Amino acid sequence: MATRPKILIIDDEAVVADSCSEILGDGNHEVAAASDGAQGLRMAQDFHPDLVFVDLKMPGMSGFAVLEKLREIDPTIVAIVITGFATVNSAVDSMKQGAFDFLPKPFTPDELRLITRRGLEKRSLVLETMALRREKETLREHFAAIVSHELKSPLNAVQQNLFALGAELAGRLTDDQRSRLERCSARVNDLMKLIHTWLRVMSTDLDKVRENFVPTAVSTWIAKAVEVVQPEATRKEVDIHTDLQTPLARIQGDEGTLVEALVNILGNAVKYSRVGKAVLVCARQEGDQIVVSVADKGVGIAKEDLPRIFEDFYRGKSGEAPQPGSGLGLAITRRIVEVHDGSISAESELGQGSTFVIRLPALSQAQAETDPLSLPQMGGMR
Amino acid sequence: MNSQKHLLIIDDDPDFVAGIRSILESANYLVDVAYNPKDGFEALQSKPYDMLLLDIMMGRGAEGVMVARKMRKDPKLRELPVLIITGIREQIAFLFPGGPVHPRFVEVDELVEKPVEPKLLLERVSALLQSAQAKKASPA
Repeated sequence: MATRPKILIIDDEAVVADSCSEILGDGNHEVAAASDGAQGLRMAQDFHPDLVFVDLKMPGMSGFAVLEKLREIDPTIVAIVITGFATVNSAVDSMKQGAFDFLPKPFTPDELRLITRRGLEKRSLVLETMALRREKETLREHFAAIVSHELKSPLNAVQQNLFALGAELAGRLTDDQRSRLERCSARVNDLMKLIHTWLRVMSTDLDKVRENFVPTAVSTWIAKAVEVVQPEATRKEVDIHTDLQTPLARIQGDEGTLVEALVNILGNAVKYSRVGKAVLVCARQEGDQIVVSVADKGVGIAKEDLPRIFEDFYRGKSGEAPQPGSGLGLAITRRIVEVHDGSISAESELGQGSTFVIRLPALSQAQAETDPLSLPQMGGMR
Repeated sequence: MNSQKHLLIIDDDPDFVAGIRSILESANYLVDVAYNPKDGFEALQSKPYDMLLLDIMMGRGAEGVMVARKMRKDPKLRELPVLIITGIREQIAFLFPGGPVHPRFVEVDELVEKPVEPKLLLERVSALLQSAQAKKASPA
């Protein structure tokens, strides 16, 4: 409300409309008046009022109907009901229709000024909240772009020059000097990867993932995740065994993020496994839940760390050798599982290994069949 | 054929430019630099270059894209090979949601990510120069 706040009065009694205009038309407000609901609504569209007074009892369109239409025109408009029959019921009803407050007739000029001030304060708050919410959304959406430029540009420049120096000085550096240059380069690279992971967490609106939910086969999900982790497992001579109950109900979900979640768990299982040990992935149905567990015989997690491992940036302190990581993998995983209306938990014994369990709601046969997305004639892309 | 190739870099980060310029110069390319899109486009119009190395995220946003669009409208510059050097692929995806990662701004272009390893940079530059030459030799 950078300009004078605009107030619209919708009342069939000319006396009320006139006196309101006079009381509020003191130079601080811009006031307009309409003598019935239909005219009032037309004016609301052009006048863009901040605050609207609506008489409940008018010939033609009722005050209640006007309130409802006003909300359709602009839900941020603050409406105050003027009522000659100030019963509790009509006040409650109008509040239910979204009115901010009500003013019983007859009222004094001071009463009108007071309620106007409160109504306009409410309007400021509503607008401010909306602006903040919009700003927050924009910030989040642009965060990835801004940060990648502001944070990555200097790193790109550093890395590019390390590359160039490495090439220019090839043959002139001692082994030790070359190795230090390479380590500089590796550290910059790690930092860039870390920034990327953080961005992934902060700029992704996981709720939007719900829009992509389709009935998803548990076996495909698990197979894809295992495939991603397999090369690292092979390097460490860790066998990944899968044990899937058949048949398994499908789940409602987004395969991409589900795979990401399971890859995080499996990746950890492999990372913390001892060379030559196995990782076991099980999937079974328990009632209306699909339960997927990943068990390793690795270094395990200390009891005091267990409750916090799904928190952002938390990294266990008590494991054997510290492993590189962002401290975000499990936090992302938990969020992905929760967006799928599931839960994740962990059990562990230090030195013996850990078991992570993901529980997701199973699609019943009927749900899978009635879901429009699962019908071939509707789906198109399956 | 063996004459020294003349390249132009348009990128607003002088430190980054130093890191690719030295690689290109040590491979015997002649390198000019413009540190903003405006100077860059003027340089393109003032002299015949064999190739442009173009940054995308400059100034207030994707100003590099504007340079490419102006080039496409210019009959002389349309044929010039362009190597797009940009921060991350996601930025391209962000600018052209749903579009291919490789934008195809002009007839001959290619995309590499920052930072770029010397070997890869030189390979891409020489491959682009060759394909531009091949195109010129046998107009479709």
